[in-house]
Amino acid sequence: MLTTPRLVAIALCAALNFAIGNIVYLIKLPIFLDSIGTILCALLIFPDRLAAVVCAFIAGFIAAILTGLVLNPFLPWFSLTILAIAIVSALLTGLAAETFRTRPLPVLPFFAKVIVCGLITGIVSAIVSAPVVVYLFGGVTGSGSTFVVAFFLKTGQQLLDSVVLAGLATDPIDKVLQVLLAALLYRATPREFIAMIAAPKTSPA
Amino acid sequence: MTPNGAVAFTLLVIVGALLARDVAGLLVILAASACFALASRCAIWSALGWSAGIVLPLLLFMSVVWVGIVGRAPHEIAAGLEGSRSAAAIHVAVICLRLFVIAFTVQVAFLHFAGWTPLRFIGALALPRTAKKLLVLTLSLIDTILQAVDRARTALIGAGLVTRRRSWRNLRHGWILVQTVWLTVITIVLGRTRDKWPVEDTLARLEGTLAARAVARLSATDFGWMALALAGAAMGLRSWS
Repeated sequence: MLTTPRLVAIALCAALNFAIGNIVYLIKLPIFLDSIGTILCALLIFPDRLAAVVCAFIAGFIAAILTGLVLNPFLPWFSLTILAIAIVSALLTGLAAETFRTRPLPVLPFFAKVIVCGLITGIVSAIVSAPVVVYLFGGVTGSGSTFVVAFFLKTGQQLLDSVVLAGLATDPIDKVLQVLLAALLYRATPREFIAMIAAPKTSPA
Repeated sequence: MTPNGAVAFTLLVIVGALLARDVAGLLVILAASACFALASRCAIWSALGWSAGIVLPLLLFMSVVWVGIVGRAPHEIAAGLEGSRSAAAIHVAVICLRLFVIAFTVQVAFLHFAGWTPLRFIGALALPRTAKKLLVLTLSLIDTILQAVDRARTALIGAGLVTRRRSWRNLRHGWILVQTVWLTVITIVLGRTRDKWPVEDTLARLEGTLAARAVARLSATDFGWMALALAGAAMGLRSWS
């Protein structure tokens, strides 16, 4: 499963997750975009679903550990969310891989699939990350969604319910954007690179 | 101390911090972490500053939300009580101190090996061969990507497509920067895997280097620090109950 070209793809996607966080910081964008590499890794390896889940998770996890050492020590706590994103990407987003690479761009199917995959990824990620947000951060992570949490708490909702509802209100937007960027990067990736990852005759790591 | 010992110490402190429920318990665990920082003679002020830089904005934000807006602690909400701002403040203090302990310990353990090269550090970790290779490849590619980001960003600023500060232009053209970097890196990786690595026998050499750098999994010093972390965690639990 972990052939040398796939190891390279994992490393590349982990580095991409790390670097896009850096780009977002450099050009001061008000979004996270911390899972593009994870989604892209699943798309690159897609036809082999199990390998896609494993490789996408490893890419996301390594990026979280490295970002945890340098920028945000709390990111590795969201490992289960990374796993959930890897599973959704490998089982669902991967199904749209062919549409993402079709030329010329089929505008309607492309954006419809991006939105559906992004929304589902966002919903799953909001539900899976809620217990960590509640236990580790007490419901307040410092992101803009915190005020949504505060609103639900003020209306008498329990903490976990408030965090889940706030996540459901904000995560899907971020994830639609991430799936869109991953799909566009996948579209821009040279065929030669995808063939190298898929080739079964490569030597084992 | 070995890198494996540092990882084990950090994990034990983090588990202790997660189990501790009150400020006193967390302070005991922070003391154990501070002892490690002092003994390892790492840049303790740098670690304190880094951790404070991460936790202070959260403290401010949590205070606004819990003390200012909500006005009661989660357990009071769960019990359906009217609650008080002081209980909310204690909740914020516990959460922030826990986050500070985690951030500080991670940074102290990281700075303990500041003089080591990443290759030496990874080589000494008790990890499977493939995982070590993957970590080295990732670090190498991060360097490559960050250099590509620098070059592409400078070029795009020069072309007037993005700016150094927050702007709408960055939002509109940020994608060009991401795509430029991705294509640059893919080209580099294809070149390396197809031509450079086979010619230089890079992967075999890397494996040899990582195998040569493998050291003892845990030393006696490691066990000492792990015992201290365990004691801190136990005391933290005791003060909670």
